[in-house]
Amino acid sequence: MDEEVFDAIVVGGGFAGLAATYRLAQAGRSVLLVERGATCGSKNLTGGRLYTYALQALLGDDWREAPLQRRVTREIISLLTEQDAVNIDTTLGSAPEESYTVLATPLLEWLAARCEEAGAMVVTATTVEGLLVRDGVVRGVKAGEDELEARVVIDCEGINPLLLERAGLIRPLDPHAVAVGAKYVYRYGSGEEVDRIFGVRPGEGAAVLGMGAVTRGVFGGVFCYSNADSVSLGLVLDSVAWKESGHSLLDTAEALHEHPAIGRYVAGGELVEYGAHLVYEGGYDTLPELSGAGWLVCGDAAGLCLNRGFTIRGMDYAVMSGIAAADAVTGALDAAAGTGPLGAAALSGYRERLEAGLLRDFRATRGAHDWMAATTDLFTVYPQLAVDAMTGLYHVGPEPLTPVASTLWRAARQIKKPVRTARTLLKGVRTL
Amino acid sequence: MTRPVDVLLAATRFETDEHHPHIVIDPVACRTCPSDRACATSCPAQRYAWDDAADVMSFDHVGCLECGSCRLVCDRLRTGAPGYSWDYPAAGAGVSYRQG
Repeated sequence: MDEEVFDAIVVGGGFAGLAATYRLAQAGRSVLLVERGATCGSKNLTGGRLYTYALQALLGDDWREAPLQRRVTREIISLLTEQDAVNIDTTLGSAPEESYTVLATPLLEWLAARCEEAGAMVVTATTVEGLLVRDGVVRGVKAGEDELEARVVIDCEGINPLLLERAGLIRPLDPHAVAVGAKYVYRYGSGEEVDRIFGVRPGEGAAVLGMGAVTRGVFGGVFCYSNADSVSLGLVLDSVAWKESGHSLLDTAEALHEHPAIGRYVAGGELVEYGAHLVYEGGYDTLPELSGAGWLVCGDAAGLCLNRGFTIRGMDYAVMSGIAAADAVTGALDAAAGTGPLGAAALSGYRERLEAGLLRDFRATRGAHDWMAATTDLFTVYPQLAVDAMTGLYHVGPEPLTPVASTLWRAARQIKKPVRTARTLLKGVRTL
Repeated sequence: MTRPVDVLLAATRFETDEHHPHIVIDPVACRTCPSDRACATSCPAQRYAWDDAADVMSFDHVGCLECGSCRLVCDRLRTGAPGYSWDYPAAGAGVSYRQG
């Protein structure tokens, strides 16, 4: 057995794991990252949008060298019925460089190379089968014949945290806190074709968020992102509600291609990848234990993904949690006497860092997930109302015209219980 | 237009370990499924299909996208009932995304 004891072993080379690894290596710590995929990024799937403040926090201005796709300058919210759509369309070209569309695999490969340059050891194609736990303290990981030891294990194994669940360190993933997503990537012959499809200038990008009939009444939505020379299209659905609906997930994803307002974004492209991933959206009150004796958990494994309906954020929180974990570990290593594993108390600074950082967002949106899951009108009634109102306004025929007020009143009358609806919406706005 | 799932999966790269499925189910025990056979509708890769003629669940780990949806919707996979287990593939095997 290898006698070397690392300062830290990081499990999983996704956004959280690579961020933690990079930060620790930069602080001069000995860090080993173990990734089960053939390369870092080969097991990762994203909808496709990353907020750049997190890359800036990790890499400084070097983040501009990262292989990102397009700066998002156009936000489109699409309210969808079976055949029609009302879009809230924006051109926000004057906005700062807040977010880019991304493809996760090339970006993570690039980040892994930065980690190695910074002095970290990155081992791929190696599946960690269990945590080494002695006397209630995590002391390393088991991978094949090897037992690898470290003073702390930073678990970034993703949305299915088998290692932590099996060691009994966190509660099992709750189906009520999870959505399931499917995604297609279509490639075009040139970036100009993507410019044309989305009506953007070269290098600029669009992000489409669709809600309505495409999820068959279930809490969820459609996303579509312009990449450099490809387009990402996908569907995210609440796991439990979808199970109860009995619909086929694949058929529903395929039906997107038939929707006139959605299918046009990918028509004529060559399918170059189909994938699927779970999305954590339980919110603050369902978060697991975040650290304990000899271990910390970051990113998806920690449930650090937030769905507010119009945005789903996970990668930026993964990066920020990786940074917080690395900084907490560095502080604990500096303060610790001896060379043994870091105890639970020594690592409690991680929770404090998160509470002062990204968990503020999670506290502010308590209840948002439950509200959206319970308010199915969002996915049925309101998109239909929007379409009816617009259809009425723009209808012209031989009969006498209908005054605008009558058109809007007719649409509004479809709301069955207006007072209750207003109350429900107000409640929702407070949680979002 | 619903394309056969094999057409979609053909666009994705897999390094399949043919001999060691990372997900194991008991096709016969699935006859008494307490979960409405939700795997068959919820799996984005349609790896699960109820075989009416043979009265068993058919499952093919080749083409699995490792999302974990079945681990949640199937009570037996979730609780690790006898004959059921869900693991990561070993040593780089399984789905290998190029776009992500």
